[in-house]
Amino acid sequence: MHCKHVALLTVMASLCIGIQLIPRPPNVESTSLICFLVGFLFGASFGAFLGALTMFINGFLSLWGFAGTIMPFQILGMALMGFMGGVYRKSLGGSVSISKILNLEVSFLAAFFTLIYDIITNIGWAVPSNTPVIAALIAGTWFTIVHVVSNTVLFGAAFFGLVRIVANLLGEDTWSYQKGV
Amino acid sequence: MELSKRSLVIFCLGWLVSLVLLSYVAGYYYMEFQKEAHLGREYEDMYNELVQNYTSLLNDHLTLIQQYESEKQNLTELLGKYGSCIMRVNVCIDYKEWNATVVWYNDTIVPLGCDVLQATKIVTIMNYTFWPAYQASFVDAINGVWNRGACFWMWYRWDNKTKTWKYGEAGADRYKLTNGEIIRWRYEIPSYL
Repeated sequence: MHCKHVALLTVMASLCIGIQLIPRPPNVESTSLICFLVGFLFGASFGAFLGALTMFINGFLSLWGFAGTIMPFQILGMALMGFMGGVYRKSLGGSVSISKILNLEVSFLAAFFTLIYDIITNIGWAVPSNTPVIAALIAGTWFTIVHVVSNTVLFGAAFFGLVRIVANLLGEDTWSYQKGV
Repeated sequence: MELSKRSLVIFCLGWLVSLVLLSYVAGYYYMEFQKEAHLGREYEDMYNELVQNYTSLLNDHLTLIQQYESEKQNLTELLGKYGSCIMRVNVCIDYKEWNATVVWYNDTIVPLGCDVLQATKIVTIMNYTFWPAYQASFVDAINGVWNRGACFWMWYRWDNKTKTWKYGEAGADRYKLTNGEIIRWRYEIPSYL
């Protein structure tokens, strides 16, 4: 990995952790958005690595205390989120213009992968504590709904705006960031 | 506006998410309903048990009232029968130097010819010592409050003529009470000390 990318990874991970540690309503977070965005701009593996690193550090520093046995599942879930950012970028191809359909697409993808993240982490909580998985999923219904809805709205409202901002900052074409990573 | 295959797949995923969330909510309410139903049954059982216990207690209470009425009647009859053998006196216990409380035992029924000591023993728990040299008893404690230091239990009688309390002239078991007499025990530092 190029030192420029190491620096980028460090900055993004710090940003994610910083946002994670700010007091906020339970399950309303922007780490998913940043990981997905990084995966989208700099490649699937880079996004996955950022997601995993963020959740690893968050596991120790979280306001809710040490994550414990749930940490590997959080790492897996957030790595998947970052990875899917890269996959989505690939599925769009080289010359796509930002439209309402894309905003909807990214919202729906956020809803789906947030749900997958919650299922993974709920399983990670249920299995070690010998709780039936279905019961664990149902017990967390309202948390899941808050998480899915907040991420759906956040992705739909901010994702392509952030893509445009980062593109301007880097002075490159919107669809060219994956090159070289 | 034509949707690509990718968009359709993603929208299907979104639709799937909404279905899953709906099933979560349904499952959540089903679990809550089951929990409430279980609690409802539990409360119903508790209520039935409570009603049974209450009914049983009520019956016991009624039986006790009947017994009480019967005993009261017996005692009233006995009182009428032995009315000429008893008298009523008022006893005051003044814990002045201990906690300054005053307790009255009015209309205490005592046998005719009863002395101050006997009358007080009817309403309190007393400790006393008989002194053969004086042929009288000295009270050491009343209701667990013992003579200590300069504080002693002293007895008085109410003088109807002067309307004042008078120190007992003799030992408590040497003074015979008359009907309607008022006596007082006071935990105090005696005036002669």
